[in-house]
Amino acid sequence: MHIVALAKVVPDYEVPSGDFELANNRAHARYKRMIGLYDENALETGVQLKEKYSGTLTVISYGTEDDVPVLRKALAMGADKLLLVTGKSDDAFVSAANLKMAVQKLEHVDLILAGQQSADMDRGLVHGMVAQMLGHPFIPQVSSIEHDSGQWKVDQITETGVRKLAFTGTALLSITSVPGNIPRIPAVRDIFAAKKKPVDKLAPEGCGQMDLTELSVEIPKLTSICEFLPVDDFSSMAKTLLRKLKEERYI
Amino acid sequence: MKTLIVEIIEPKRLGELVTASRKFCDQPDIVAVGSGQLQGSYGQSYQTELVVGSNLVLPLVNLIKDNGYEVVLLSATTFGTSLAGPLAVGLSAPVISEVTGITDDRIIETPMYGGKALARYKANCKPLILTIRRKYFESDMLDGTAATVPLGIGPEAVNLVGEQEEKAEGIPLEDAEVIVTGGRGVGSPDNFSLLREMAHLFAKGAVGASRGAVDEGWAPPSLQIGQTGKIVAPAVYFAVGVSGASQHLAGIVNSKCVVAINKDEEANIFNRARFGIVCDYKKAVPEIIRALKEEA
Repeated sequence: MHIVALAKVVPDYEVPSGDFELANNRAHARYKRMIGLYDENALETGVQLKEKYSGTLTVISYGTEDDVPVLRKALAMGADKLLLVTGKSDDAFVSAANLKMAVQKLEHVDLILAGQQSADMDRGLVHGMVAQMLGHPFIPQVSSIEHDSGQWKVDQITETGVRKLAFTGTALLSITSVPGNIPRIPAVRDIFAAKKKPVDKLAPEGCGQMDLTELSVEIPKLTSICEFLPVDDFSSMAKTLLRKLKEERYI
Repeated sequence: MKTLIVEIIEPKRLGELVTASRKFCDQPDIVAVGSGQLQGSYGQSYQTELVVGSNLVLPLVNLIKDNGYEVVLLSATTFGTSLAGPLAVGLSAPVISEVTGITDDRIIETPMYGGKALARYKANCKPLILTIRRKYFESDMLDGTAATVPLGIGPEAVNLVGEQEEKAEGIPLEDAEVIVTGGRGVGSPDNFSLLREMAHLFAKGAVGASRGAVDEGWAPPSLQIGQTGKIVAPAVYFAVGVSGASQHLAGIVNSKCVVAINKDEEANIFNRARFGIVCDYKKAVPEIIRALKEEA
């Protein structure tokens, strides 16, 4: 079984709003780079499937060569190989077309996983585009995956509960975070072993962008001013809070 | 502009998309998904009972092409996400997801970097596909019901085996006037009972959870609030032991009043809060419960 996980290297998504800065309409380059929040859930899911079904796991990323040391974490987690398509575009179509091209370079793929959205552009679009370009079904928000008698059985989280779906053949699944796919922390020996795992690089494919004009990117101003309530007397604090909530007609 | 809504039959979700559609047209057409009566008034109304998005891509591409739709509106939900990217490729159309605002001159606003930045776009060609983030557009009242014609569907690549609805205690988070949310700082699943007790003392109170608490397994995913969970807009949002990651704040941006209870006075949640209580929540929450009971 050959599983592919798509992963993107993004600026530190844990930078607090108050410290966040833009440069040329994108996150300032000074922020640490890391694998996307949800991409790590997809990687963990991929490693678990690889272990369960004795398969192989290839990680595909679209980004710059500087991303390779960051992506080695995916190899340390248990992926077998990294395929990087070099490119810098933020355009969802361009990212998708290049990821599709990389998937097609592989001989056989049984399942493609991706995080539910990147942790920078937050679009949640690229994986669905890749699926459509490859002619595969796309199922978002997947929380668990099983393979049984040639059929995939997956759970999809919806706004009202869980949907159980089944399909045969290859599909692209976006993975949501659940307790079962919290990313493992690689052991030191796995970090060293990852340095010897293969990393292939592909030149990007020329393709058109989405016909959109980005007019501006701005940091919204926070207007909330917090009033801290004294906590020397908790009973009094609770009564004061409820009184203020009523006075300001919130309750 | 000729506009098509594609959405599950659920009044609030439909109503928000109808409101968003007013930026483009007087009366949108619709593909209503699911069973039951379709609320509201539309131009042409189609209906399918198939709720798995990937089975609808091809019929929708054909419908949108054949009818020359210029704008396609979906909700930024599991269903809308399943269609947005594939439709964009199928139609060679631009797509903008998680839309939080549309100006009168049709400039589209959408957050980036977990809500730490806001981008504005203008589409240069048609059709334009948008997924609308929940709770950012007031829901239209949807008077009356609409007669529908069936949407023709081809073979299904993905089979729906079953559906398990999670019955949330009390009222749904999206409808709650007061939400008490627990984060990692709550410390254990058992401690959520305290938050539940507090929430249920409000007339329309509900309990939520941060992604961290859900990842710990302390609360089900259906209670997750944030950019990738539920988007809520209560009158009062109690954030208990919630650090305030930007992804969480993106889900509560329309809350009218945030009350933060956290031991860490440097926690980011206080930057969004109207009232802050810096202490162990185990000391504050029981007193708030006591005060609420005294007032009842």
